[in-house]
Amino acid sequence: MSLLLQTLNLKKSLGGRVVVDDVSLQVESGQVLGLLGPNGAGKTTTMRMIYGFLRPDAGSIIINGVGFDADVAAAKRSMGVCTQSDTFDTDFTVRDNLYVAASYFRPQVPDLNEHIAGLLQRFGLAEFADQKPDTLSGGYCRRLMVARALVNRPKLLFLDEPTTGLDPQARRALWRLIRSLREEGLGIVLTTHYMDEAQFLSDQLVVLDEGKVLAHDTPEQILGEFVGEHVIVLSQPLADSVTEWLRSAEIVGHEGVPGELHVPVGSAQLSGFAASFETLDYDVRKPNLDDLFERLSGGAQ
Amino acid sequence: MNKLRFYGAILDWQSRAVWGRHMKVYRRNWYTAFLPPAAEPVLLLLAFGLGLGAHVGGISFGGREVKYASYIAPGIIAYTIFLTAFFQTLYGAFIRMHYQRTWEGQLTTQVELPHVIWGEIIWATVLAAVYASIVAVVIILFNFTPLIDISVWGLIASLPFCFLFGVGFAAAGLAFTAWMPSIDHMNLPVFLIGMPMAFTSNTYFPIPQGNPWLDLLVQLNPVFHMSELTRGLMLNGELGWSHLIIGLSEVLIIVLLATPPTCRKLRRRVLGDSGS
Repeated sequence: MSLLLQTLNLKKSLGGRVVVDDVSLQVESGQVLGLLGPNGAGKTTTMRMIYGFLRPDAGSIIINGVGFDADVAAAKRSMGVCTQSDTFDTDFTVRDNLYVAASYFRPQVPDLNEHIAGLLQRFGLAEFADQKPDTLSGGYCRRLMVARALVNRPKLLFLDEPTTGLDPQARRALWRLIRSLREEGLGIVLTTHYMDEAQFLSDQLVVLDEGKVLAHDTPEQILGEFVGEHVIVLSQPLADSVTEWLRSAEIVGHEGVPGELHVPVGSAQLSGFAASFETLDYDVRKPNLDDLFERLSGGAQ
Repeated sequence: MNKLRFYGAILDWQSRAVWGRHMKVYRRNWYTAFLPPAAEPVLLLLAFGLGLGAHVGGISFGGREVKYASYIAPGIIAYTIFLTAFFQTLYGAFIRMHYQRTWEGQLTTQVELPHVIWGEIIWATVLAAVYASIVAVVIILFNFTPLIDISVWGLIASLPFCFLFGVGFAAAGLAFTAWMPSIDHMNLPVFLIGMPMAFTSNTYFPIPQGNPWLDLLVQLNPVFHMSELTRGLMLNGELGWSHLIIGLSEVLIIVLLATPPTCRKLRRRVLGDSGS
């Protein structure tokens, strides 16, 4: 596995406010790094610095062994970018969007015609190849965005909220494509608001809050550290005895869905709870990144 | 990116790729894009040359009297270069930046913002030159009629100079694009800058001399120098060195002074990089 992305101590202030503070990341080939955090955590700013939209105030970015400061064009030759919003070229057809995007890279991709035909086929875009992108559904628009990000055969792929606004079927289809890209050895940096997506796709997660790295580990480790091993799902309103037990154990939960309280606990606490409320009707589930998100965004109550 | 690298980016392949993309779009729509430069001079030469010219008679230029239609033919070339280059970076670039988000897509590649800027400026200039060439063909066809009498070689010789002037007008247009908050605000540069420049430039009528302020305004107007340079070549077969030197110096100053702040403003606007 080769190191494709290395950022060291990135810092960025916007409008006098520190937005990214001392962020260091690494991505190797065949690895998906998920950037996670509540709104305003600095995910998008970090991403935009790494793909060259914003200039860091301090720190360095090395892409596939080439520093941004040394040779930005060479560094950008190794990367593909799928931005949050669709930015394809509405003056061209789906196929020509790929050709035009390819014209912005040197050295040009060998066997470009075959490569573009392959991308159209792989992303299910072949039947729409001669249509304008604005005739495509949301799911196919996102596929085109990802396909376009791959037109230069990058080694490192940036996916900024790639499935936002898609229906579950389209999301899963795109997940399968992202998984297959990872299996081919691409390094991928992903930001998402969907916790199941981050959990399903990421090998490692970086949790950002107020511009700082709160945690950097596998999804399982991070959940264990920030949330707990189990989540007790209780129906509201709670019995006074349960409220008292939670207060005395200094455990806070969050409203997972209206009418329910989701309470993250460790194994010992779960045993204690079970012993105290033998007749109470409740569920226990594994923690997910929604719980983490609630914890980070201060949603716990 | 330091200033030298910024100016040098005009020669980078990425800048060519950007204006090459615009050329591809133009080539697809050439039949609609071809109409304005082909139809406009016909209408202007007929309306002004035949219509107004019948009332105006001749106009004195370079020590001799020329037909009014002959007088305005070089003006139409100059006017085409100015308006095409200025409007293309004003409206065309704004649409690509704001509505189509073409720039954002380009910037995810090896293209950097200075390449987008130079690509837009070169494209606007190339388009202006293409339009001026179409206008030139129409004028050459009119030259077979008694309506006008110009030097065809002078006309052809004027086109490369016009191209150089176009770079300045395109750079000025892009500067306004960077600062105007919406497309509706484009009326400000069009009517407060563009139209006054066009009508104080000797394109369609000679500006009366003697008022020192008006004289200064005219001398500071590169459209005037381009118009007079073109007229000198087309009507007398003479290269007006003073217009060439003063006009191109003004263009150079516009390009050198306008493009770096344009880039800084667009960096904030397109990339959201407001600095710290």
